[in-house]
Amino acid sequence: MQDLLSFLISLLFRPCIFIPLIFPGLTVIFIMLLMIIWLERKIAAKVQLRYGPLYVFKPLGGVIQTVADLLKDLFQEPIIPKTVDKIAFLLTPIMLFGLAYLPTVVIPVSPTFYAFRSDLSLLLLLTLTTLAPIFTVLMGWASNNKFSLIGGLREGYLVISYEIPMFLSALSMAVLYGSLDLVDIAEAQKGIWGLFLNPVAGISMLVLIYMSTGKFPFEIPEAESEIVAGAYTEYSGIMYGLVMGASYVKLYVLSLVYAILFLGGWNPLPASMMDNPLLPGAMLFAKAFILIAIGVFLRAVYPRFRIDQAMNIGWKMALPFSILAIFISLGIVTITGGM
Amino acid sequence: MSVDKTIRHVKALATGIKYLVSSKRMTLMYPDEIEEFPDGYRGMIKYNWDTCIKCGLCAMVCPADAMKMYISKEESEEGKKPVRRPGINYARCVFCGFCVAICPTNSLKFTKVHDVVYNTLEEQVYPPEKFREGVPKPQYKKKPKKMRAILDEERGLRYEPVE
Repeated sequence: MQDLLSFLISLLFRPCIFIPLIFPGLTVIFIMLLMIIWLERKIAAKVQLRYGPLYVFKPLGGVIQTVADLLKDLFQEPIIPKTVDKIAFLLTPIMLFGLAYLPTVVIPVSPTFYAFRSDLSLLLLLTLTTLAPIFTVLMGWASNNKFSLIGGLREGYLVISYEIPMFLSALSMAVLYGSLDLVDIAEAQKGIWGLFLNPVAGISMLVLIYMSTGKFPFEIPEAESEIVAGAYTEYSGIMYGLVMGASYVKLYVLSLVYAILFLGGWNPLPASMMDNPLLPGAMLFAKAFILIAIGVFLRAVYPRFRIDQAMNIGWKMALPFSILAIFISLGIVTITGGM
Repeated sequence: MSVDKTIRHVKALATGIKYLVSSKRMTLMYPDEIEEFPDGYRGMIKYNWDTCIKCGLCAMVCPADAMKMYISKEESEEGKKPVRRPGINYARCVFCGFCVAICPTNSLKFTKVHDVVYNTLEEQVYPPEKFREGVPKPQYKKKPKKMRAILDEERGLRYEPVE
């Protein structure tokens, strides 16, 4: 019995199981989702001089309100309208959530603890994150509803305007460190973090992360006051929970990538603490969580941009800035002879 | 991006952070705290059976058709002719106060009660016999704190406890 238990625990701590299932995988994603939605409502309430969720477990400020919401969503009847394309309608939430969650397997937790190491892991990760928007567009089409269609098209417009500059900003860091391997990139930031070496790339990537995950002021594809819930209009119950969760999961994954690219990943922990995956993992998670918290704080401050304003930011500002970031990286590499 | 726009973005974020860290709140925590209303507050209406002269002006002036004259059974049987008295339907009432203002004998008066829950629409209709019993008393689980709304130049609305 004892042997079996210790075997199971050692199995759990194997990277190929720990990373997809615990951190940064499913378990932490689930807890993060519940926490961040509560935090979003609480922050928005605080800025607007209200209390926010309060009565579900009052001593901690209603922190399990989202659990109650989840239970409500689970027991709600999922309504499938008659005129939708059934297969696409039912499969897209699962594909969206799955594709948002999939890139976590590439993310390393410490220099020696990773499920999957490749020379091209950054490229692989960015590629996986770009698949999800296709399903948002498909969802808008499958729902057979004008609001869904408009929401899906808006997502399509946004994707083409944020994707290229975001890739360029991320790849400028690969140029700077001479590697596409996330472990190498994080290890190269032992001394000085990427954000301070190349702040242009850092700021443009941060803005584009919020743009790609539909945070304010870029909450255009699901503009509540204009097109009900955008591509998600026809969804109800737990399917709505999945599609809403998908954008938060995407934000979480991109924040982890941002933490590795620009905020030094698990640095500045000393090398002696790297044996156990928990400490570097906690460090990485803390950095990503702060980024997510900033993202949800923006909701309380900004109104929504028009679609053309957001596209202007993508093409006319972020694209030149990210090209500039590549040249900054090239300049640093030329001067110092590589990091 | 112009410098001016950047400064405005930073200012907006700074304002957000300022409110985030300050402990100001405008919410009145309703069942635990209740607002004390000023005199002349237009709540539910109480009816004085004895001073009423059954003139019917209140029913005539009511813009929402909430106040109506009902035949009062006992009095009609006593006097062998129909006697009409006012009754109110709170499902229709807009609390405009015309009936209270027009009453020649001040038999209708406002109270400060406004928070009463009804299970059915029928319960909200008060025929004269029910109307004379007065307004229902609000019931709270525990004794609520009385608060007064104050307009503050610094932060808008503020609630202060009443001693």
